[in-house]
Amino acid sequence: MDIDLSPEDLAFADDVRSFLADNAYKAGEDFGQWRFEWFEKAKAKGGWDVPKWPKEFGGPGWTPTQHYIWERETARANTPWDMPFGVGMLAPILMGYGNKEQQERFLPPIRTRKQNWCQGYSEPGAGSDLASLKTKAELSADGSHYVVNGTKIWTTAAHIADWMFCLTRTDDSGKKQQGITFLLIPMNDPGIEVKPIITLGGAHSVNMVYINDVKVPVTDRVGEEGKGWTYAKGLLQHERTGIAGVSRSVFALENLKRNAASVKRGNGTLLDESGYAKKLAELEIDLMALEFTELRSLASASAGAAPGPESSIMKLKGTDIQQRTQKLTVEAAGIFGPAWGKSKVGPDFGRAGMGGYLASRAYTIYGGASEVQRDVIAKNVLGLKKSSGK
Amino acid sequence: MDFNFSDEQTLLGESVERFVQDNYDLETRIKLANSKEGFSSDYWNTMAELGWFGMPFSEADGGFGGNQIDTMVMMEAFGKGLVLEPFFASIVLGGNALARAGSEEQKAAHLPSVIDGSKRLTLAYAEEQARFDLFDVTTTGKLSGDTLTINGAKSMVPSAGAADTFVVSVRTSGGQMDKNGISLVLVDASADGVSVDDFPTVDGLRAGEVTFTNVEVPAGNVLGEPDNGFDVLSAVARDAILALSAEALGAMEILYKDTIEYTQEREQFDHALSDFQVLQHRMVDMFVEYEQCKSLLYRATLEVVQGADTADRTVHALKHLIGKAGYFIGENAVQLHGGMGMTEELRVGHFFKRLVVLDTQFGNADHHLEQFAA
Ligand SMILES: Cc1cc2nc3c(=O)[nH]c(=O)nc-3n(C[C@H](O)[C@H](O)[C@H](O)COP(=O)(O)OP(=O)(O)OC[C@H]3O[C@@H](n4cnc5c(N)ncnc54)[C@H](O)[C@@H]3O)c2cc1C
Repeated sequence: MDIDLSPEDLAFADDVRSFLADNAYKAGEDFGQWRFEWFEKAKAKGGWDVPKWPKEFGGPGWTPTQHYIWERETARANTPWDMPFGVGMLAPILMGYGNKEQQERFLPPIRTRKQNWCQGYSEPGAGSDLASLKTKAELSADGSHYVVNGTKIWTTAAHIADWMFCLTRTDDSGKKQQGITFLLIPMNDPGIEVKPIITLGGAHSVNMVYINDVKVPVTDRVGEEGKGWTYAKGLLQHERTGIAGVSRSVFALENLKRNAASVKRGNGTLLDESGYAKKLAELEIDLMALEFTELRSLASASAGAAPGPESSIMKLKGTDIQQRTQKLTVEAAGIFGPAWGKSKVGPDFGRAGMGGYLASRAYTIYGGASEVQRDVIAKNVLGLKKSSGK
Repeated sequence: MDFNFSDEQTLLGESVERFVQDNYDLETRIKLANSKEGFSSDYWNTMAELGWFGMPFSEADGGFGGNQIDTMVMMEAFGKGLVLEPFFASIVLGGNALARAGSEEQKAAHLPSVIDGSKRLTLAYAEEQARFDLFDVTTTGKLSGDTLTINGAKSMVPSAGAADTFVVSVRTSGGQMDKNGISLVLVDASADGVSVDDFPTVDGLRAGEVTFTNVEVPAGNVLGEPDNGFDVLSAVARDAILALSAEALGAMEILYKDTIEYTQEREQFDHALSDFQVLQHRMVDMFVEYEQCKSLLYRATLEVVQGADTADRTVHALKHLIGKAGYFIGENAVQLHGGMGMTEELRVGHFFKRLVVLDTQFGNADHHLEQFAA
């Protein structure tokens, strides 16, 4: 056992740190413009704009340890959130199952971040039980296109997306996982209607998407008809590790500690309050363990092992840790916790804290709800079977 | 032993509950919360006409001679609709402080109009640096002749924008953390040098920052003896915790019941969600926490009413449990509703937010745990 990084890895970490420092956003810059340029410069470093893409598609071909370093350093530098839908979710599916024409058409604009995507999976009747989805895609008589009808819900960023990758049903005669087809749908089609859903923090990030008689050429189908479930499923694994956000949590915790230490309480600070201090310590302990769960999974991935149960463990524990961090932020704000948004009172971290806490409640719902995640571990890892009784 | 409410209390509870049911559907509440005032003046007047504001005041003060049990009955029913009218601020806080500490003359000057609803009070007690400590007071009151001059600021004053008059805790002597030297004083919202910055809190209610710059009030506005306000402040805070806990209990009931109903209707994997044992057990835990809160609320309220030696400690226990159980029940109601629980369209999210805010009022779960263990 050895937890030290090699000299090469240390040099890489230095390189990443100075890249991030040299190209950090400066107050006053046009953010959108800065962002596009940032990705261009990262690309010039040898595919740093698409760290997870394989080498043949222009990715950097990093080792698992290098990925870990990248996650850690971008978290430390608090780089802005990179929307995962195009680069992280659709791109791997196109690389694995799309044809050459689709790869050439979509991968470049996805890579520059100039084309925005959204994920049209969930439906009002199909949440945890995603495979029961009903959005219907009917092949035209001449076989040139599908006519799609249905409703998607919770579609993050649908209101700013150019395209939606969408699971549709082309056949309902067999098992529900069969007969699902993966289609690419342009959001500017007149048959697409997007209605905002406002979530608890008052934010608009998710939407209903109504699909009415939208014609999708068969050339915008990814892979084979009826195989969409297989394509989508492999990807959920990635989504989970991403959602776990261990590196981001490490720095969020540091931040939380600084904030709590800034809260006066009598002659001391909030860190002297026994109940608070205990919860903070418990959070840190869980995170220390999870960091090593992540490293263990990295180490086995480096050794070429197939991904193990870690992705479900990390989703489960990682989201729990994020939620507790957010809750402790609200608690640190004390009486000012409720004074969010536009009021100007209380500590700065407090006003942002409430929105963050409320939004964090979704982390245990999307990407496979915690209850469902436990089912996965019970079945696939512990080998526990559900009996339907005697 | 008798855990039954009196006939009058039962009737009162039913009448408040009916009012909430008839008038406080989610859509109406959202509309009212977003209105300029942040509540309904019509509802306020109706509540006054029904005599609800006089409930906890003695007959000598023009009230109905009720006690904390009556307030509990009302607040629990208010909690089931997340009522926005400033009953808590004006009656449980401001009116209560006035009734406890005011001279006959002061009471006669203000209480009748508080009880008939034409005047609204609130209590300005919290300060930015003080966190949950009521005795940490830096707002100063300097007595000189017949005038008291006030300088300082109060934070998160409940329903500040709706108040005509504030009951303010000011330091008239002693150091920042001394329990002696705190006075309670009446200050008109319209007095020169008073500024009120009122804003919506995340639960749809309102709070305000109230600043006092060389505000001069007659020395006769001090309630009771100068420097001796802390005991009254503590007693009001104790009643406030009982009232807020009752409101929380009402909100918890809605949350666990709505969750039971929703999971019976919603189907995934060809089953009602309520078929899944893990969800059944979660709902059982929510229900058990609710029942525990109810028991401790009754216990604390009865001890306060009877003046038991243990009352303060039991109130600490209560606010701790309410805070903890509030998060547990609220978070799980959202979780079990899935994405729907995250929206502003269902009421569970609104009740959850109210419980989160309740934990920040008059000391959170950790604060009271520490006091309890001390
Ligand atoms: C903020 C947010 C963003 C989202 N973004 C997207 C997006 O961009 N694209 C997209 O397609 N979807 C998105 N989703 C949808 C998300 O994937 C679903 O919310 C999720 O799959 C859960 O489905 P549901 O909301 O219908 O809850 P349900 O499936 O109805 O679940 C409700 C509750 O029941 C529990 N439950 C369900 N089945 C079982 C079981 N068998 N055993 C025990 N418990 C069970 C769940 O764990 C949950 O607690 C988003 C959701 C949110 C909240």
